[in-house]
Amino acid sequence: MPGKGLKFLGSVCLMGLLMAAVPALAEDVIKIAVPSPYTGSAAGFGENVKAGVTLKVEEINAAGGIDGKKVEAVYLDEQCEPREAATVSTKIANDKAIVGIVGHLCSSAHLAALPTYVREGIAAISPTATSVTITDKNKDAKGNVWSFRNVYRDDFQGKFLAQYVDKAMGLKKIAVFYENNDYGIGLKDAFVKEAKALGLTIVGEEAYMKGAQDFNPQLTKMKGGAPEALFIAGYYPEGALIVDQAKKIGLDVPKFGADGFDNADYIKLAGDAADGLYLTAPFLAETAGPDAKKFIETFKARFGRDVDWMSANAYDATAMLADAIAKVGADRAKIRDYLAGINTADKGYKGITGVNYFDKNGDCLKPAYVKMVKGNAFVPAPKQMD
Amino acid sequence: MLEQQLVNGLTLGLIYALIAVGYTMVYGVIELINFAHGEVYMFGAFLCMMFLTVFGAPLIVAVLLSMVCCALMGVLLDVVAYRPLRNAPRLAALITAIGMSIFLQNLAMIIWGSRPLPFVKEALPAFFKVTALSFGDVKISWMQMTIYIVAVALMILLNLIITKTRTGTAMRALAQNRVCASLMGINVNRVIAFTFALGSGLGAMAGIMVSMFYNTMYPTMGYNAGVKAFAAAVLGGIGSVPGAMFGGVVLGIAETLGAGYVSSPYRDGVAYAIMILVIILRPSGLLGRAVTEKA
Repeated sequence: MPGKGLKFLGSVCLMGLLMAAVPALAEDVIKIAVPSPYTGSAAGFGENVKAGVTLKVEEINAAGGIDGKKVEAVYLDEQCEPREAATVSTKIANDKAIVGIVGHLCSSAHLAALPTYVREGIAAISPTATSVTITDKNKDAKGNVWSFRNVYRDDFQGKFLAQYVDKAMGLKKIAVFYENNDYGIGLKDAFVKEAKALGLTIVGEEAYMKGAQDFNPQLTKMKGGAPEALFIAGYYPEGALIVDQAKKIGLDVPKFGADGFDNADYIKLAGDAADGLYLTAPFLAETAGPDAKKFIETFKARFGRDVDWMSANAYDATAMLADAIAKVGADRAKIRDYLAGINTADKGYKGITGVNYFDKNGDCLKPAYVKMVKGNAFVPAPKQMD
Repeated sequence: MLEQQLVNGLTLGLIYALIAVGYTMVYGVIELINFAHGEVYMFGAFLCMMFLTVFGAPLIVAVLLSMVCCALMGVLLDVVAYRPLRNAPRLAALITAIGMSIFLQNLAMIIWGSRPLPFVKEALPAFFKVTALSFGDVKISWMQMTIYIVAVALMILLNLIITKTRTGTAMRALAQNRVCASLMGINVNRVIAFTFALGSGLGAMAGIMVSMFYNTMYPTMGYNAGVKAFAAAVLGGIGSVPGAMFGGVVLGIAETLGAGYVSSPYRDGVAYAIMILVIILRPSGLLGRAVTEKA
């Protein structure tokens, strides 16, 4: 009698499920959502954010949780794809147990999810989304900001780097390479605009697609313009290859990049060509305080790799959200109000990445640091801007 | 600059060609576009890296082992995913192929993680970096020379297998008419499995050489390369092996010149535009002949 057997099996499974669900309900947890790419081509970045959040959540729970309740991070995969992010955002908004969000990672995914968060009223802190457009889209009809970030915007980075190239390095002829997406184009535009205002010469602007491996045609073309420096507006997986191939064709000039390069894997991928890269970073391990030092060590012991800025920012973003929950309780609207109230440096959250606070647009006012790669290691650049 | 761009394009094109023959052979024999082929190419790179690091094998051994493993993987793909659907509507097999591609991509992410990995530098012979030939500004490294030599040698070997051996004859017979071939006593499933093995082995070699040349490998690398190689196969005339080789080289050079002279964001656009033009003017592709003469 297969029918009866199946029914029996089914009821056993159901009972098992119910029993598994009971302790979770009884324990009463506070849930926060962490939507990021955990599969797909940006999954490597998602792992970084997850690592930062994991450490903070474990720390909070080890100290007894918030008001005796454990914090649970729900990791939702959106593959850095806008359409996936839109689906995930609805899931988050509908789960009433979730009180706040750390994410999204990618600007384009964040922009796709934002309308839901604004409409349904749940606050998000993105540790990494740097697109300028977010500023225009994160408010509801009353002008309340629902999306915050503890990372600077692309236009700030681009402008800052152009000034650094000119004032600190004294280089005048720049070739520009950019990834053909929101991040790359935004960064490139800001850089080029400021560079032109400073009187620098741009000797070539070339684009590439994510996942590209061959940059020889563009580099060969750029070499004809004899640039003194190469600015790469993109991420490290492609950036490392650009640097490597540039050296191979004899274009051995200083390279400049932004936060997208800040990953220890860059050095592995670029190999002998890694040296001579300058990059902006929201977080500089060497100049960090004692809390950060402890974080850096714990991170290395736990994950077996050097900390990157994304993990550090995610760690701080989680801490801010947890702080808000602890102060005003597990209420979505009150959490938003609390976060919006962190609007001066005095009220700011002193985390491992410095003082985190938001302006009236939910954007972050944080300084940028310059790191460089020397002797196959990231070190602070000898010259910093004020 | 033009000469350097041609050298760049040739390197890229020969790699596309190696992958493209895998698509075209399978299509020739069972009229299936094996979308999981790009993933086999990716596994080639990762398996080679694994043999080098985990088992400490010498480079040549690791490369050969990886090719053999990928050949077996190709056979397994056929047996597990495509053979049960041999008489099903063609769309079913096509969807299965896409499913296998997604499955293998995620399998690689589970095994090796999703972060890009560098190739094992220590395993590469030092002479790879040395310039082999140089005329004026144009430089060709031994690494590039190795790609040329290996790719051309493998394709000559492949042509010999197809034209001179009994299995090759069986493959061509299958391509012409599967039912007739089986009536002549040809073991159809075995020949199809052999076709998958051959194509997958070459794909693995392409994956290994790409990861060596660019010093990177990541689980999604098969997608882009797969689409390009597929386009190359169509450009050359799908089902035609010499067509795939020729199509690969044409596509590689078109892409490089497009990026170098037209506009870099449209580099793939230029390559595909050329493909579309060829297909419009010659629907069977550059070297594709009448439908009955494949493989």
